[in-house]
Amino acid sequence: MQPQSGDALGAPVLLIEDERDLALEIREELLGAGYRVECVQTLEAGLSAARRGEASVVIVDRMLNGADGLSLVETLRSEGNLAPVLVISALSTVDDRIRGLKAGGDDYLVKPFALPELSARVEALLRRGAATRATWIKVGPLELDLVEREARRDGERVDLLPREFKLLEYFMRRPGQIITRAMLLEDVWNYKFLPQTNVVDVHIGNLRRKLDSGDGRRFIVNVRAAGFKLDAES
Amino acid sequence: MTQRVDAFGARTFRLALAFALAISAATVAAFALIYFEVSRGDISRISVILTEEAQRSADAPQERLRDALAARQTRDIRRIDYLSLFNANGDLLLGNLAHMPPIPVDGRAHLLTAGQMESLGAAAQATIVVARRRADGGVALLGRNVQDIFEIENTLLRALALSLAPTIVAILAIGAFFARRSSLRLAHLHEAIARIMEGQLQSRLPAAADGDEIDRIAHSVNLMLDEIERLLDQLKSVGDNIAHDLRAPLTLARIKLDRALESAPEGASVYIEAAQTQLDRAAVTIAALLRISAVENGPREKHFRDVDLAEICAQAVEFYEPVAEAKSISLTSSLSGPLWIRGDEELLREAIANLVDNAIKFTGPGGTAQVKAAEVEGRPFVEVRDTGPGVDPAERDLIFRRFYRAAAVGGAAGHGLGLSIARTIAELHGFDLRVEDNAPGARFVMRAAAKASLASGLR
Repeated sequence: MQPQSGDALGAPVLLIEDERDLALEIREELLGAGYRVECVQTLEAGLSAARRGEASVVIVDRMLNGADGLSLVETLRSEGNLAPVLVISALSTVDDRIRGLKAGGDDYLVKPFALPELSARVEALLRRGAATRATWIKVGPLELDLVEREARRDGERVDLLPREFKLLEYFMRRPGQIITRAMLLEDVWNYKFLPQTNVVDVHIGNLRRKLDSGDGRRFIVNVRAAGFKLDAES
Repeated sequence: MTQRVDAFGARTFRLALAFALAISAATVAAFALIYFEVSRGDISRISVILTEEAQRSADAPQERLRDALAARQTRDIRRIDYLSLFNANGDLLLGNLAHMPPIPVDGRAHLLTAGQMESLGAAAQATIVVARRRADGGVALLGRNVQDIFEIENTLLRALALSLAPTIVAILAIGAFFARRSSLRLAHLHEAIARIMEGQLQSRLPAAADGDEIDRIAHSVNLMLDEIERLLDQLKSVGDNIAHDLRAPLTLARIKLDRALESAPEGASVYIEAAQTQLDRAAVTIAALLRISAVENGPREKHFRDVDLAEICAQAVEFYEPVAEAKSISLTSSLSGPLWIRGDEELLREAIANLVDNAIKFTGPGGTAQVKAAEVEGRPFVEVRDTGPGVDPAERDLIFRRFYRAAAVGGAAGHGLGLSIARTIAELHGFDLRVEDNAPGARFVMRAAAKASLASGLR
């Protein structure tokens, strides 16, 4: 997988994971995506590595040889270290998620997860600061007026339902970034579970049909095994 | 059930009534004994004395009687003694009772009432008199005022009435109190049992530490419940641990397959992807299982806040509308909101989305699905109807069990846990989730359970 934009390229990621096999696979995945990866296996090593302040994103497993990865997040936050933290965990209860986010984690990923999901989350964390707050967004030929709630393609108005507008806005704020189904469910519809039917794909399909002009150009493209992205280059 | 408790109360009350009767009988008997011992005893003693004195007087010479009368009258300040002597014609010779009373001259004691004494010109007080014929044909009459004794008798009777009435009232009141208390206690026990039968296994029977037999039984039942709970927990944690421990290998297996996919020859990738799909299914199932037990066991009320149920329904409908359209199902809603309840928004969203998901999954093209949220008699409810195949009456409870999938509608996708999760979440919020007949189709109703959940547990 290629890095999706320049600012993610070479960004240092600190991975704190005591399960060797999993750590190696995550490392491989992130290296493949163009990040620099530092792997440590214990809470203490993770803490001292994070304190150096180089990592752009910290990935920490909640369960490290009996220690709670959340305590590391709390320590970092209390020391004023604001590096984005992705907590991965085998605990999936809502309580755990809430605790994870309360402790200062920025995102929470539950095992088992697909590696593309992980790198999509890391990318989202890296770009979070860059996400635009503008009320007018333009990506390629697509324009979005957030005040008038109007979408245009090549200057032509596209009629969207409110839910389609909301979905397109999410993509346009993250051009070129890989967006997984779980991310859409959580962020656009506020559902923290995976529905049994392919609801997300149907929503995307509807939006695509309205955006596509018939000349074969596709704005929202599928990313195999990961999800979707808004193709900024078209 | 309530009837049974009431009957128990009535039995206790009848027992109190019988007790009151027994106490009354005993008291009356005691009073009767005192009565006869004290008053009748006194009277018969006085009668005997008078009879003997009369005998002596009848034989004594007139002068001695006169002296005796004088001596008596000096001593007898209270004027309780009478002594008179009449000649054969019945004229008074001497004495303090002027007229001969209407009694036979037989030397025996007779009781004159206050009225009779008054008509003789004496003090109107009950008196015992004895008349005895003298040798000269005259009559010696002796009397003793016994009004005091009668007054004691009256006092005794009054005391009996005064003490018995409040005693009976007190016993009946105490009986009623205990009757009420025991039926209340039984009602509490039944409530606790109902709660436990509804699945609140952490609930316990009320039992006082130093109580009576009922408390001891309740205590034993509680110990049994502790043991059952411990065993269930053990069982559950075994299941949870298995599910939990499967996650890491599943994650790795999936990742390894991702890797394999990158360098796999064309023909192999189909199989790899199929294997991944299966792994994903397993992962989703494990996640759902752990989720159910997390919802069941987690003390989640602390996250409860005010949530608008109607708004959650509206968003679920909006979310599923495109899927319904794609399947040519008309998805409508009738929401009279806001419908505020205390709850966990995230979980309620999941429960309602699961119900809508389920309705759409089982409804064929051209069918309809409707989501309704309203409040009836202060109890909020959410209803999701569809025109699918419906649920066989025999299966209406089974479909909420983990992994149960209705036999008639095979082929529908899903991990079979959506409805279990929905019910678990509903119950966490004090809601009752049931499926009914929509004729045709199914009608899932999630309704706030009645506050008194007593009846439902002991059907």
